[in-house]
Amino acid sequence: MAENKKIEDMSYKEASQELELIIRNLESGDLELEDSLASYTRGVELLKSLRERLATAEQKVSMLVKDVDGADALAAGEAADTSDDLPF
Amino acid sequence: MSGWDLTGTSPAARDEGADGALSVSRAVGIASGALDALPEMTVLGEVTGFRGPNARSGHCYFQVKDDSAAMDCAIWKFAYAKRSFDLRDGMQVNLKGRFNIYKPTGKMSFIAQSFSLAGEGLLRQQVAELAERLRREGLMEPARKRRIPLFCSRVAVVTSLSGAVIDDVKRTLRRRNPLVELICVGSKVQGEGAPAELIEGLRRAAAITPAPDCILLARGGGSFEDLMTFNDEGLARAVAASPVPVVTGIGHEPDTSICDMVSDRRCSTPTAAAESVAPAVTDLADKLAEREARLMKSLTASVKEGRAELDGFGGRLNRSMGGVLERARAAVASAASHAVLTRPAATLERRAAELNQTAERLAGAGSRLRERHGSALAHQSERLIAAGAGCMAARGHGLALLSSRLRATASGITRHPAAELAASAAALDALSPLKVLGRGYSIAYSGDRVATSAEVFAPGSELRVRLADGDVLGTVTAVQPASR
Repeated sequence: MAENKKIEDMSYKEASQELELIIRNLESGDLELEDSLASYTRGVELLKSLRERLATAEQKVSMLVKDVDGADALAAGEAADTSDDLPF
Repeated sequence: MSGWDLTGTSPAARDEGADGALSVSRAVGIASGALDALPEMTVLGEVTGFRGPNARSGHCYFQVKDDSAAMDCAIWKFAYAKRSFDLRDGMQVNLKGRFNIYKPTGKMSFIAQSFSLAGEGLLRQQVAELAERLRREGLMEPARKRRIPLFCSRVAVVTSLSGAVIDDVKRTLRRRNPLVELICVGSKVQGEGAPAELIEGLRRAAAITPAPDCILLARGGGSFEDLMTFNDEGLARAVAASPVPVVTGIGHEPDTSICDMVSDRRCSTPTAAAESVAPAVTDLADKLAEREARLMKSLTASVKEGRAELDGFGGRLNRSMGGVLERARAAVASAASHAVLTRPAATLERRAAELNQTAERLAGAGSRLRERHGSALAHQSERLIAAGAGCMAARGHGLALLSSRLRATASGITRHPAAELAASAAALDALSPLKVLGRGYSIAYSGDRVATSAEVFAPGSELRVRLADGDVLGTVTAVQPASR
């Protein structure tokens, strides 16, 4: 693993892609045993982080609005209300 | 109902009955004439019951209707052949023609000479023409549609912020996948100026940094006219040219706008479009579970494979080392079993025995040789001595004999010639002329030559006469030949 970026700094997609890559490398069986163990550990960490993100994800909505100068800017928007969500 | 003759016995085929009734033919004829008197007219209505040209005749029969009325309509084959589009049910058309009654059935029809689209129909035709034009330009080619990521994490939604659509999109994605970040870009979606605002909305959405993964162009259901905004050529071209892929969700299921045709992905509704940009979290969770299983399995497999490999190596190592040892052991055993090592004295003993034997044989041979050749030699020696003595005696005697003979022979040889020689000398002496001279004879010479005849002399010639004790010289005085 060349870079080993901090998992908390990675987006869901980045983490997910790295996990897939790790699994493919492991599945290919070309890794040294030590590397396999390191990859596996990293994979488990990624998996844990991804699971937590899925469990705690909150929708982020912003609005593209023109500021006083007429330039576009992002403003925080309201997430969808959940009042009509089915109770299960 | 009185006055009706239900028996059918009343006189028929009379133009006018006794009570002033018209025959059907007459009545239909009058109506027909009245309709013929009407000028040519254009009627606007919706086509219904259209089944295409009659298979045999090629004429078209259908109805046109509006909210409260309907009429049969026919277009003859030659007139339909001049059409610019095919008629279909639901089309709003302007039909130009006249009414007519078909007398055998008394049915009234509008016989159209020509027809053209009207209202929404006309709009639809214009839309179809625009679509065809853009298609020819290649704007709808599948090859130019861009790939939209399976999981868009950042999505710009260009739609009206006041309608239900934006809430639908937000709610859909919140439920499906709250990891998708939404950026709402408000725009008018119908009416005057809507296409221009949407074009600007697309431009602004594409300019957001970091760029969104895709742009959702959405609008709820509406009438055909309401949705005409999305058939705008300028907007369609803006969708096709957008640097960020565009997903459309416009109207409801059967509606297809030109924007749908040129977008990178067309979904039937705004909700479907929202669902299409990212996988559901439940799917992601399933995927993670699957990956967890693969992760475990692959590590287990790695370890197992490593172990199997080690076992294999161990086995091979043992086998190969065992083989080497076995071969070495066999070699040592075979060397150890060799007589040189088991009974080292044996060789020496055998050699000693051999030498002894040889020595004995040599000694035997020597003495035998001595025995045999010793006696033979003595015998030979004696014989040699005896033979030598005999030989000497014989040879000595022979030599003496020979010697005496030689002596005898030699004296014989010398005695005999000496006698002969004396005889010969006596004879020779007797024969010598000198002896004759001694006895008184002489020899006359004329010159140096012995004169054998008197005739060689003449008086006066020199004469020499040899005598036994010298010569006498004289001159001849006369010659007297002897008489006979």
